[in-house]
Formats: sequence, C-alpha cells, structure tokens
Amino acid sequence: MSLQSSFIQIFISHIKREFLINFRSLVDVIAIISFMILIVTLFVLGIGPFEEKLKLISNAIFWIGLILAIIPSLEKTLQKDYDNGWLDQATTSPTPMELILLSKSLAYWLIVIIPLLISLPLFIVLLNIKLKLIPWLLISLLIGGLSISLIGIIGSALTLGAKRGNILLPILIIPLIIPILIFGVGISEAVRINESPLGNLFLLIGFTLIYLVISPFISAFLIRIAISR
Amino acid sequence: MFDWLANPNRFNRITEKIQPCIFLIAIITLVSGLYFSLFDSPKDYQQGDAVRIMYVHVPSAWLASILYFSLAISCVFYLVWKHPLADLVSSSIAPIGALFSALTLVTGSLWGKPMWGTWWVWDARLTSMLVLFFFYLGYILLSNAFERKIDGSKTASVLAIVGLINLPIVKFSVDWWHTLHQPASIIKIGGPSIDDKMLLPLILMIFALSFFSLYMIILNVKTKLIEKKCEALLLKSNLEEISKAG
Repeated sequence: MSLQSSFIQIFISHIKREFLINFRSLVDVIAIISFMILIVTLFVLGIGPFEEKLKLISNAIFWIGLILAIIPSLEKTLQKDYDNGWLDQATTSPTPMELILLSKSLAYWLIVIIPLLISLPLFIVLLNIKLKLIPWLLISLLIGGLSISLIGIIGSALTLGAKRGNILLPILIIPLIIPILIFGVGISEAVRINESPLGNLFLLIGFTLIYLVISPFISAFLIRIAISR
Repeated sequence: MFDWLANPNRFNRITEKIQPCIFLIAIITLVSGLYFSLFDSPKDYQQGDAVRIMYVHVPSAWLASILYFSLAISCVFYLVWKHPLADLVSSSIAPIGALFSALTLVTGSLWGKPMWGTWWVWDARLTSMLVLFFFYLGYILLSNAFERKIDGSKTASVLAIVGLINLPIVKFSVDWWHTLHQPASIIKIGGPSIDDKMLLPLILMIFALSFFSLYMIILNVKTKLIEKKCEALLLKSNLEEISKAG
C-alpha cells in the first residue's frame, strides 16, 4: 500500500515538475497556438476562400494542423533532460524509468492539450466547424492528443543524441501516427454525414491503449541505451 | 573477447555450401519465370499485355512485406540475445527491402498508367506500401545517425520492432480509410480466380525474387563480416605498433 501511494506521489511530482518547466514562460504555449493558426491559414490560402471546398476538408486541416504543431516541440521533451544530465540521475533513482516516462508523456499531453483547448473556439470559428461536431471533436482531440504524445515520447527517445535529430524525428514519427489521423478525421467525417462515429472512436481508443501499454517500456529501453553511451 | 566470431565462422562455412545452390535456383526460376511471364502466358481480357507487370509487381510487394517481417524478427534476436550477426542480417535486409518496396511502387504506378489513366492513385495497397517504404527509410536513416555504429543498430532495432507492431494497424487503418472514401472496388491484382497459365509464372517469379534476395542478403552479411574482421585486424595492428613504440 505504501509503495503504491509513494508511486502516485512520485508520479504527481514529476507531472508538477514538467508543468513548472513548460509553463514558466508562455512562449511555448503561444508558439503552438500561433503555429497551428498559421498552418490553417496556409491551407486556406492554398485552397482558396471557397465555402464549399472548406466544408469538405476543414476536419483534415484541423488534424494535420494539430499534428504539425505538436511535432516541433516533441524533440526537446527529452533532449534537455538528456543534455543537462537529469536523465542520468533519474536512472540511478529507485523509481522505475517506465513510471517517470509515463508521467512525462501524460504531462506532455496536458501541456499540449491545454493551449489547444483554450484556442479551440478560435478554430471552430476559423474553420466553420458545426456545433454538433464540437463534443466529438473534443473527445477525439483528448484521446488523439494522448496517443500522439505517447508516440512522441518514443520518437524523442529514438533521436536522443542522434545527428540531425530534429529532421529525423518527423520522418520516424509521421508514419507511426497515420492511424490517429485516419481515425480522428473519420470521427468528424462520420458526424458530418450523420452516421455514428463510435466505430472510429473505439478504434482510436484501442490504438491509444496499445501505446499506453508499450510506450513507457519502449522509451525506457531506448533511454537506457542512450544513457549507456 | 572474440568468442562471438565462432558463430560467424559457422555461418560462413554453411553459406559457403548453400550459396551456389541458392544462386542456381534463383537463376533457373528467374529465366523460366521471365520466359513464361513474357511469352508463354495469356493476355488478360481487360488489361491486355499490361498484366505482365503483375509478375514483377506482386512478388516485390510480397517480398517487401516479408522482408520487413524478417528484419524486425532479426532485430528481436539482436536486442534479446545480443547476437552481433543478427544486427548484420537486419542491416543487410533493410536496403533490399527498401528497394523492393520502391520497385512495388514504381511497377504499381507503371501499371496504373494504362489501367487507371494516371500514374498514381491513392489506392489502399499502394498507400500502405508507401508507408512501408518510409519505415524502411526510417530504419536506414536512424541506424546511420549515430557516432558509434552500435548505438545506431540498437536504436534502429527498437524502431523496427515498433514498426512491426504499428504496420498492421497502419495497413488496417488505410484499408478502413479507403473503404470510407471510395466504396467502388478497383480491379484486384491477382485475385483468387486467377488462370493456371498465369499462376505458374507468378509462382516462379515469387521463388526467383525470394531466392535472389536471400542470395543478396547472404552476400551482404558476408561482406559486412569481412569489413568487421578488417577493422579488428587494423585495430590490432595499431595496438601492436603503439605497444612497440611505447
């Protein structure tokens, strides 16, 4: 019992630490939101201001914008801790590396998702998203964001100490998160054509659960390789 | 320290014997397969002569998938039992697999031009093959991205195993995506109702390309073994020189 409660305490303290580091300056938060707005703007500029066309692909634009906005900030989730030796210290602590990484990815999920939730009304207006879609969009955003951050931790552990890691990371990550995009857009599409989005939602949840199980172990394994250099 | 060399020696001894046989089988099946597929097989009543592209396309698609599977399996061997030969095998498979998936994409688009009227259609199989190609590319790039070779092989092995978990999901989701967006079915390449006269060259070509790639993989591993031995010898002679000078 005491072991369990101490694990939960460690878990919470790690999440607190990540929050302190990331929200101390609001630059990152503003960067994610403005980056996503710019991607959406680029898409609309490329397509033209046609209401009909936009209605068809606004869901896709939203999801691609989300993925592209998250990827650049992924790289430094572990890189900073690796560079200043924090990860080395963490491996010597009795806390399992898997637990630390799970809390790290959950913290990263919250850090990414909170600015997006704040700015969601903006995107609803910009992309002319229908009112009935909003609850489904919220759910799929929360679950999809979790799986993106779980895969992102793997990606950022893969490129620890690699040459040109910042270019390599998107190449490794994007093929892995294709299912999230398909299921996420599928939910919105199903709602748009008045069908049940539950099929896509369950697939998205299943995909997230798979990575919730394997991601901490895989990234802990990768970090042990990176530390041993 | 060099006791792991015992196994590569055994590998060399065994492959010494079977390599010519593999080469012979590959050549015989390739020649006969090409003859049957190019001259002695019927035209398709819909596709005409373009159906002959299938005899390269289907074997390469099959090989691209099976090679990724064996790549990931040998990565498991490398990570779990730390067998250096397994790493050499997986790093030899990777370029060949990438080549076959690229070949699948090229032949698919060559076939698509007369059939669909465009070079590229976002067909479910072609799309998942494109993703597979990027998995191969990611493996090759990551294994060369580190200062020390061993870090690259370990990290890239983990990526290959993650890919093994993720690829079926990608394949399924792309199929799912395709049925959502395009319910009309396109002509299936090589369905179950295939004529015997077409099946024979297809099977021959599958055997030919499989044995050819097996031969190439063995050749690759042997080359890498020789490279490793050269490095070790160089290191040894350098050390001897240093100790003499000291």
